[in-house]
Amino acid sequence: MTEGAMKIVRLGPLIHALLIVGCAFDLAHVKYEPVRIELAGNGVAAFTLSSDTKIQGAPCGYSRTLRKDTSWEPVGRLLEGVVYRSQEQTLTIECSNVFEAYLVIDGANLVGFYLPVEDGFSALNEPVQLPIVGQR
Amino acid sequence: MRYIRLFVILFLSTSLIGCASGMAYSEFQPRMPSPSPDIGRIYFYRPSALGAALRPDVMLNNEKVGEAIAQGFFYVDRQPGEYEVATSTEVKRTLSFVLDKGQSRYVRFSTSFGFFVGHVYGELVDPDVAMEEIQDCKYTGTP
Repeated sequence: MTEGAMKIVRLGPLIHALLIVGCAFDLAHVKYEPVRIELAGNGVAAFTLSSDTKIQGAPCGYSRTLRKDTSWEPVGRLLEGVVYRSQEQTLTIECSNVFEAYLVIDGANLVGFYLPVEDGFSALNEPVQLPIVGQR
Repeated sequence: MRYIRLFVILFLSTSLIGCASGMAYSEFQPRMPSPSPDIGRIYFYRPSALGAALRPDVMLNNEKVGEAIAQGFFYVDRQPGEYEVATSTEVKRTLSFVLDKGQSRYVRFSTSFGFFVGHVYGELVDPDVAMEEIQDCKYTGTP
């Protein structure tokens, strides 16, 4: 084998790695299940957060912070919990693509996100207890 | 030393090529017509000069509505509904959101650098954050 050919062989793994890195953009997707949202019904109240709350375990390792004093209004219900949105904080989840997201809450626990455009539910790895106050 | 100087000059000049040059938002805003209460407004802006040579088309539900020009902004008025924003870089990265009637949504474009080329992608931003960032952006929409 010539010296030039040996160089190419040695560089092979590096070239392969670079190609894989270049392809990685399209590989990460937000995982969600299709769901059907229904009316929230009576007895479901809006709430306010009493402190900043960091949400870990969102898809693709992104974290989000729900801001103190933001108000969240019920907009519907899933089997997994009640869906809330806020006019005061824009919330998205993302991997390769970015999706507007609403909170899905069971009791006082955030269990995941509702994607209004996709009609999908994306679960958190672990529920997060929210510092809910001022229910009305 | 000579090469370093040349590199710095080239880097600075290519960074600035392609930046928006219209009227700043702060000047333009009083002239903007108010949207009808039955429709919504979507602002698109790109506050950074990073990767200014990249000027991808901005697609809203597969329709070209403008270009993501560095330090520029534009807006469109649309019926309430579901929208998807994408840019025409070679990596398709979409943003989906809901627009309500009377609502303003703000889409900020940022640049990330891939292995070979840069990508411009949209993020949905809170109005108070957008209002701070958009002030110095120049209008790049239809005059």
